Amino acid sequence: MKRIMILLLVSLVVCTLYACANTTSIVKTHPEKVTGMPDCRECHTDTWKAFNHQAADFFEKHRFYAQEQRLACASCHEESFCDDCHAHKEEIKPSDKYADSPERNLPHRGDYLSQHMIDGRINPASCAKCHGRQNNERCVTCHR
Amino acid sequence: MKNHDATKSRSGFCTNVALCAVIAAYLPFSAAAPALAEGTALSGESTTVLRAGQSIDKKDLYPAYEYLHLSATNLDQDGRVSFYMGGWGRTDLGDKSTDKYQDGDLQYGYLSYRAPKNNLVVNLGRQFIAEGVAAEKVDGLYLHSDFKAGFGAAAFVGAPVVTEPNASGGDLIYGGRITHTMPQYYTLGVSALKASRSGDRYREEEGFDVWLHPLKQVDAVGRSSYNSITEGWMEHDYQLTYAPLDNLNINANYSDINYKNYFFHMTTNVFSLISPSNPTGLIDPNEKLQTAGGGIAYTPIKALTLAADYKNYGYDIAGHANCFGGKATLALPGAVVAGFAIHRMDGATDKLRYDEYRVFASKKIYLFDFTADFFDVNYDSRINGVKNSYTVIGAASYAISPNLKVGADVDYSKNPNYDNEVAGLFKVTYAFDIRRSADGRAK
Repeated sequence: MKRIMILLLVSLVVCTLYACANTTSIVKTHPEKVTGMPDCRECHTDTWKAFNHQAADFFEKHRFYAQEQRLACASCHEESFCDDCHAHKEEIKPSDKYADSPERNLPHRGDYLSQHMIDGRINPASCAKCHGRQNNERCVTCHR
Repeated sequence: MKNHDATKSRSGFCTNVALCAVIAAYLPFSAAAPALAEGTALSGESTTVLRAGQSIDKKDLYPAYEYLHLSATNLDQDGRVSFYMGGWGRTDLGDKSTDKYQDGDLQYGYLSYRAPKNNLVVNLGRQFIAEGVAAEKVDGLYLHSDFKAGFGAAAFVGAPVVTEPNASGGDLIYGGRITHTMPQYYTLGVSALKASRSGDRYREEEGFDVWLHPLKQVDAVGRSSYNSITEGWMEHDYQLTYAPLDNLNINANYSDINYKNYFFHMTTNVFSLISPSNPTGLIDPNEKLQTAGGGIAYTPIKALTLAADYKNYGYDIAGHANCFGGKATLALPGAVVAGFAIHRMDGATDKLRYDEYRVFASKKIYLFDFTADFFDVNYDSRINGVKNSYTVIGAASYAISPNLKVGADVDYSKNPNYDNEVAGLFKVTYAFDIRRSADGRAK
């Protein structure tokens, strides 16, 4: 009985907080056409200006922004855009798939078969973020 | 450890089940399509790729891929329900490129409800979730909403979508994140993730994250994550940007990783921890890595950016390494993109001492795009008898119409594993968008 009461109370509080929030949702599609790597500061002077894709450290910080403002990302990017790199299972490395976009920060450029042994020693955690639990079937070709 | 073949079949089974679930969820909308809202839009992109190359054991490889991405938006009268899916399939036209002649994957497929108020989102299906300590692909349910007084919350539950070449990834995963936001100043979050395997504790991670922008010129992000099973911090990762001028960016970063807590229950042996029961593991659980670095970028004219960066890697066991360098990028959208970068890695071991160079240029001429890319690594000491490893890439594409594009690239490489490696790729991309264009969208 006590558990049911707690559950009902929590549900009531959640519903009340939701009903009272009354914020306007982020638009599903960016109202202005955006191509290439945008400098969001050209139009935005508020929080969104942080998402300047041309900033030197945007690539390093994009994982934090993606959790903070996923819906804002989705107003310009299809899910497939994220999946080009963050795939569950992928056989073509992003820099091969988009060799015609050299300006993009795509991982594993050049001869990565040799370089992965070096990068894996420098910071294996940076490999594990994408290959620790997914997209690692090719690893067993050598690492059995 | 699981039997590899058994794992593969389980993974394939899960993919099929997920695919069936997604199709089953979509069928009612598909069947009812004529009765759906007039604003319903169907868009998608098909990319057919043919690769040519040779494996390290001299097999001729000609894998052909089809990538397909579909989205159906505004499925209901109010435009709140959408459906998204994407995946790929591959067949080998030459020798086997992996252990199978054919393979494929459902990358994502979910039904989504988005309300006009409170950023309420309900997603059902295969999706990528990024909420605090969770950066997971999940077959399941995701909820997000804003609440009163700046609070927000997200929750998810489902089956983890992982590849399992050596070890299981668990069978149930759930978690959530609660945030508080003052839009002008900050967002603070606390998050947790739990995964179980056959009812046993498998992963338990908690963390907090920050996004601070107290001043117009300052932007800081970061996260700390804790492993409750190993009872230790996995990672602290923080980045700070200071932009005193519109064309000047100064940034700093710091991270601290504890290998024992971070590499806990990975699904591949590559990241397995050395232990008495696993003496052949590759990761030393006693190792800790701290990185600290920074950079400065200056944009003297709108199209040109000059940048310099530095990063120090400090290991408890392996010694230290420094990486530093700079790059220049010229970008005239729709015309020319060009860049040059040079970096020096200076580490404690021979393999961690090398210079890295990159030069690239891309030019658009009428409906053609031409790209050249050169990537070079010059090792201080030879690896497999090779001191200088390089790759040269040439690419060209032609836009037959706004929706149809063909392209090809060839790359030549000389490196410690190949004397002369030549590989090619040909692709055809077709995009379609019925009823409504999706302004702002980038594929």
